[in-house]
Amino acid sequence: MKVVIFPPNSLILADLIERKGHEPLVIQREIRKKVTSAEIDSPPLNITEEEPIAGLKYAAIEVPSGVRGRMAIFGPLIDEADAAIIMEDAPFGFGCVGCARTNELCMFNIRKKNIPVLEVKYPTSREETMELVNKINEFLDSLEDKNG
Amino acid sequence: MSPAKNLNQTESRDNSSGEDENPQKTEENQETKPDKACDEQITRMFILGPSANISSTELVRKLHMMELPLTIKTTCYGAAISGDKDAVMNAVGEIRKVDPYNIFTKDRGFPPGDPRRCRAKRGGAREGFHQLEKEFELLDDVSKALKNPRKVKIKKIDKISPDEFRVIAENCK
Repeated sequence: MKVVIFPPNSLILADLIERKGHEPLVIQREIRKKVTSAEIDSPPLNITEEEPIAGLKYAAIEVPSGVRGRMAIFGPLIDEADAAIIMEDAPFGFGCVGCARTNELCMFNIRKKNIPVLEVKYPTSREETMELVNKINEFLDSLEDKNG
Repeated sequence: MSPAKNLNQTESRDNSSGEDENPQKTEENQETKPDKACDEQITRMFILGPSANISSTELVRKLHMMELPLTIKTTCYGAAISGDKDAVMNAVGEIRKVDPYNIFTKDRGFPPGDPRRCRAKRGGAREGFHQLEKEFELLDDVSKALKNPRKVKIKKIDKISPDEFRVIAENCK
């Protein structure tokens, strides 16, 4: 199954999903499409004027273009997903994940999609980390059962 | 060993020879079939956990020994490989077997050594490194959890009814 993750570039989430034989939908995959096309050759042009237009599918015109531009990248991943894992309070504020409003919109879109969603908190201790990993594995196993 | 401590280490870039591995060579294909080319050429990062049995040098040696048509780059956190999807996934599967609980992998958008992101050209850590550094702190615990799996119950969060919500709101007054 295709599992979308949030934060969309998390190493731990993507790795655990792959270990269980599912496909993680990560932002790197979308970024690769942008940066390997011939006409875009230098930052910060990874997002062109086309993206805010594409982002209109996910956010209204009044929404800042930065949010719509980001949604043009995150949106297709959410559309494609069969399940989702959200890790809240993750201390990642860098690069393309650094917009709080986009993050809220992404989580809203995931929750309203009516797919199996696991919501966990970013761990701060060894116990919490071990519980997080076990919860994720349990969730992924349950997806396998549903999938037959 | 923290990746941050090794940030200033020299990176070596190795091609395991062969003309097909040059990312420039695929540009013609990308122009005509961008989506297909993107699917075929992928980049993966190998991140060694703090308790890994092998070093990044050994990891790169093992990757070379596979004789797959890959671009291989040694990095402070492990290695980055780039090439055809089949070859890359083959290498991922083989390398995971070396130390299943301590080798982690992740997709990467930019090819290895890309001048737009590579710190050798730009200076400073590349954007994704900060997150990698943060998640690296948890990898030891993650590998321990993978070694000793436990059954846990996932609490399902249900939506509350408007009446329940009204009661909660009134109690908050």
